[in-house]
Amino acid sequence: MSPDQPATLAAWLRTRTDEQLGALLVARPDVARPAPSDVVGLATRLAVPVSVDRALDELDAATLQVLDAVLLSPTDGVPRTELPGLLPDVPAEAVDAAVETLSTRALLWGDEELHAPEPVRRAVRYPAGLGRRAVDLRVQLPHDLPAALADLAPDERTVLDRLAGERPVGHLPDGTSGSLSPARRLLQAGLLARIDAINVELPREIGLALRGDRPLGPPRLRPEPELSRRDPAVVDRQAAGAALELLSRVVDVLTALEEEPAGLLRSGGLGVRDQKRLAKELRIGEADVAFLVEVAHAAGLLDVGGAHRDEWLPTRSYDAWREQDLADRWATLAWGWLTSVRLLSLVGQRDVAGKAVNVLSPDVVRQTAPVLRRSALSVLAEFPAGSGLAAPELVSLLRWRTPRRADRLAPVPDLLAEAERLGIAVGGVLGRGGRGLLTGGEDDAADGMRGLLPEPVDHVLAQPDLSLIAPGPLVADLAGTLGVVADVESSGGATVYRVSDGSIRRALDAGWSATDLHDFFARSSRTPVPQALEYLIDDVARQHGRLRVGAIECYVRSDDHGLVSQVLSDRRTANAELRRLAPGVLVSGLPPEEVLSVLRAAGYAPAGESAGGAVLTRPQAPPRAAGRRPGATAGPVGPRPLAPGDVGATVREIRAGDAALAARRAEPVRQVPGVTTASTLELLSRAVRENLPVWLGYVDAQGSGSQRVVQPVSLAGGFLQGFDEGRGESRTFAVHRITSVALVEAEDATG
Amino acid sequence: MSDGPLIVQSDKTLLLEVDHPQSKECRAAIAPFAELERSPEHVHTYRVTPLALWNARAAGHDAEQVVDALVRYSRYPVPHALLVDIADTMDRYGRLTLANDPVHGLTLTSTDRAVLEEVVRSKRVAPMLGARLDADSVAVHPSERGRLKQALLKIGWPAEDLAGYVDGQAHPIELAQDDWHLRDYQQEAVDGFWAGGSGVVVLPCGAGKTLVGAAAMAEAKATTLILVTNTVSGRQWKRELIARTSLTEEEIGEYSGERKEIRPVTIATYQVITTRRKGEYRHLDLFDAQDWGLIVYDEVHLLPAPIFRLTADLQSRRRLGLTATLVREDGREDDVFSLIGPKRYDAPWRDIEAQGYIAPAECVEVRVSLDDEERMTYAVAEPEERYRIAATAQSKLPVIRRVLDRHPDEQKLVIGAYLDQLDELGAALDAPVIQGSTTNKERERLFQAFRIGEIKTLVVSKVANFSIDLPEAAVAVQVSGTFGSRQEEAQRLGRVLRPKADGRQAHFYTVVSRDTLDSEYAAHRQRFLAEQGYAYTIVDAADLAGPGEVNGPDWVDEPAD
Repeated sequence: MSPDQPATLAAWLRTRTDEQLGALLVARPDVARPAPSDVVGLATRLAVPVSVDRALDELDAATLQVLDAVLLSPTDGVPRTELPGLLPDVPAEAVDAAVETLSTRALLWGDEELHAPEPVRRAVRYPAGLGRRAVDLRVQLPHDLPAALADLAPDERTVLDRLAGERPVGHLPDGTSGSLSPARRLLQAGLLARIDAINVELPREIGLALRGDRPLGPPRLRPEPELSRRDPAVVDRQAAGAALELLSRVVDVLTALEEEPAGLLRSGGLGVRDQKRLAKELRIGEADVAFLVEVAHAAGLLDVGGAHRDEWLPTRSYDAWREQDLADRWATLAWGWLTSVRLLSLVGQRDVAGKAVNVLSPDVVRQTAPVLRRSALSVLAEFPAGSGLAAPELVSLLRWRTPRRADRLAPVPDLLAEAERLGIAVGGVLGRGGRGLLTGGEDDAADGMRGLLPEPVDHVLAQPDLSLIAPGPLVADLAGTLGVVADVESSGGATVYRVSDGSIRRALDAGWSATDLHDFFARSSRTPVPQALEYLIDDVARQHGRLRVGAIECYVRSDDHGLVSQVLSDRRTANAELRRLAPGVLVSGLPPEEVLSVLRAAGYAPAGESAGGAVLTRPQAPPRAAGRRPGATAGPVGPRPLAPGDVGATVREIRAGDAALAARRAEPVRQVPGVTTASTLELLSRAVRENLPVWLGYVDAQGSGSQRVVQPVSLAGGFLQGFDEGRGESRTFAVHRITSVALVEAEDATG
Repeated sequence: MSDGPLIVQSDKTLLLEVDHPQSKECRAAIAPFAELERSPEHVHTYRVTPLALWNARAAGHDAEQVVDALVRYSRYPVPHALLVDIADTMDRYGRLTLANDPVHGLTLTSTDRAVLEEVVRSKRVAPMLGARLDADSVAVHPSERGRLKQALLKIGWPAEDLAGYVDGQAHPIELAQDDWHLRDYQQEAVDGFWAGGSGVVVLPCGAGKTLVGAAAMAEAKATTLILVTNTVSGRQWKRELIARTSLTEEEIGEYSGERKEIRPVTIATYQVITTRRKGEYRHLDLFDAQDWGLIVYDEVHLLPAPIFRLTADLQSRRRLGLTATLVREDGREDDVFSLIGPKRYDAPWRDIEAQGYIAPAECVEVRVSLDDEERMTYAVAEPEERYRIAATAQSKLPVIRRVLDRHPDEQKLVIGAYLDQLDELGAALDAPVIQGSTTNKERERLFQAFRIGEIKTLVVSKVANFSIDLPEAAVAVQVSGTFGSRQEEAQRLGRVLRPKADGRQAHFYTVVSRDTLDSEYAAHRQRFLAEQGYAYTIVDAADLAGPGEVNGPDWVDEPAD
């Protein structure tokens, strides 16, 4: 080691520029919070095993292989120039890039000679897929290893070759039969080490011997998966088709749940019986129901509600959602899915007890789900429009990108399939909406999808066979009304409604009059209303008798028809919003109390009427769950990324702390926090008086300690005013938070 | 966003906007793989069923064409999943093939061993299979060919039938197109059928299905067995064949209750074939009496169940089904498809009407208010009696008379289901009645008199529902029916749809009692007609105007001078 090279990680960190330190903090944000007080503190944080694991988890296979090369080198410290020689098959740029990545993250340190910090060594259990050393495994290797290996039976050699591949650990087969399995023979020969009851490990020396001149195994270059290419316009159209389908299905499911809510299981979730019922009602598969319900829930459109909080109901946001245009509605669903912590693919699978997991069950919550979804789909977003990856290629690329997280990739094919059903991707290629979703979020997603989805139509085509065809997605209020006066026969791009005597009766039940219906059909049908439909309305209305049940709040009635007419034409009662229902009966959409008070104010003497002889009808609002607030869905996921300002501030803080440490000459006055000692105050007031910089040990309100060099300005009321030189700002320090004080000589503080 | 005429629904129905400029070419593109389900005025509904997709495959269309047609004409983006599903479904066809092996006879062969394993293990299919020949093929008894195909269809692995058809005994038959020509759609129907080998042709009543049959026979040039619903209709076939083909009287045999002739072309009734004596079908030999080259099923929607079973044994003979509507009240349309063959041709009624080949028809429902006494009788009647009471109400009589008075110069049919009512009507209207007990001779005589205009009005029971050719009938009045039977409605309408010599409009009246089961059933039946594109006008009996009055029949109705 050349003498001018730093000897420790901390020393090396000190030689790094502010930009490099900043990059370190950005790459490993977990060490930046709370801000480490100085470089030594930073080095300590960097050694925390969790932090190291997290940093390693994010590295791709090529970078890890370079790290393995350093870890496997017999000496600590590999000269930078020798590294390409260890990896003959890897292009020099790739090695440089990997070293850069590792140095940036402080997983390797040193400039001319690369060192791996001890925690990193510990975190990589099997460098380059090689086992531990024979000594560590307490195995006595044969004296002549090459000869011993050459003598092996073919089946034994197969076992060893396999263990010399990616993973040096293997299961021992059940050995109840008489003859010894090859693995057991190897165990006896001392070529394998037993690490527990069923697992064996291949000692590193044997692995290296088997690998020959490629001790690090084959080069792990970035795989070049075969791209799926599609016409972007076709992708967009197909994605929009899926989106349209999804939107209409979600409405179908939620409408069904509005009419008959599903019960909340005691274990949480939605029962199989309700799932089957929905599937039957909507004529879709049970798995489809599960998917739609989960998506609606993730988007906050469905939640637990009801009087006893024991039912799954559409939420209030559902009402608002229905008013939005289609692209926004879609973006809400897609964003809800992307950020959901529920792993949808687990629904319906059997748990260890053999019980299928219910829809909406809390058992499928996986905090890693949003990260996984995003990382998988972000890979697709890196390709230009019109190209992407099919599931197997995507998985293999992800496996290369984060080999240490390969075990988490199992749900990726399912995630991709879900993304296709949502209209985010088609055949592994992102659509415009999906790209917007990943790069910009909800609003960009809506913008991407806008224009691909049809404009809502505000009319239907009435046909003589009593069907009404809505030739596209309907505007919300027309859809709502049609849901009352007709039954949906088929949905999709368009909706086919069927008017039957049953549906007309339902409309009449809901307070419509025959005239209202005639008006409604005449208004909303672009084709002439067929005579059969008009007759149907009249027939059913006549069958309905002379009883009319309307959605009103109250009525006014009198045997004196003249009086009733007078009330109706009285200008002072206009506020009561009365209308005549029949001679002698007026109705109002206002509550009885209001109508009573209006009538009283107008000088009439009305009396409220109770259930005596007539029923007061109060239409109930459809039940709604309170729901979650949008945005409250996704909990904190991983460390919050550092803003550029934060990074600079933290680096300055570390530097300041370091400067303070280096500048520290005079014995600081130690102070127990909260106890103001006379010497501290004396030192501080002297510094104020003589305008001398001091170094302060300070604990901020968040409890993180720091050391700073401060030019004091004033000391009053338990607060020290001063200019923090390291951070370049004026601020106030509470004296009781100062843990130590020492005077600084001017040239040291600034130098 | 394109502005195509087609909307693809999640349930695989296709909505085709008729008024769209592209609708014609779109219809041509989707017809091979989608069944026309409804054709009301503005938007026609097609359904993409697995069966239709497989038929399309059988006819040589591939998934790419189907997907392309959907994507090209669709107004909105088509969900990718749906397209994938269609491609998958079509891909299931042809994994299994039925073929004649020179050594082993009929064999079921698979290109996909897993599929064959699944099929061989299926409980439904296994009993029909013979010995396993090798890993990829298994022997099939020739008599099981039809049933096996049916069973394979049900388990979703349709077999491609390459075993072909026997030619049958050759017999020269030519169309005698001296003063007439096969219409375009008839030719298309025959071509479609012949290319497919076997199948069903759906054409509206009056559109000349008999000629399609005759043309198919001329194509086959072989002995032919024609199965018809009744004797009268059989004789009509015979007349038509003599007039339109090179066949002579001596070459055509009648196999009915009255006569048992077997000739190169034999016309048999369903009834005689299904007649049992001592629990045995006595006339099944007919199918083996000749080496038939073609079997024609008239009104295939009425095919009785025993004939279904027989048909399963006849898979090596060409089969042609003819019908106006494939709606079967028993829901066995699928059996028709799998045993007779897929639908080879159909056309919306209104299209053929627009081409002038069937008469334009005005459908009117006349609502009669029952008088108080009748309403009371109806109200207190047993449920099973209610329809009869409503349908045969006396109050209908004056209304029926008024309806007939509107068309003094037309040939009129009054159609009913209840014999008492018919007799009563016959007496009141002074018109002859034809019903089940009327002898064939008497029927022929009355029909002939009606045809030449000696009789202006005929009262008929449901015997006249089918296959009676009365080209001059321009007005039909339906007074009672078989509950809500849709195909009965279609057949009755068909009575007046034969094109008139002078292009007059036809009139189809239904007289119903207001607010009773009668009007409910009427609504059910009418929905079917509305789906065929016939809009009903509803009038109250009181508003029914006479000729020349306001709202009365137009002058167009009168014979042109």
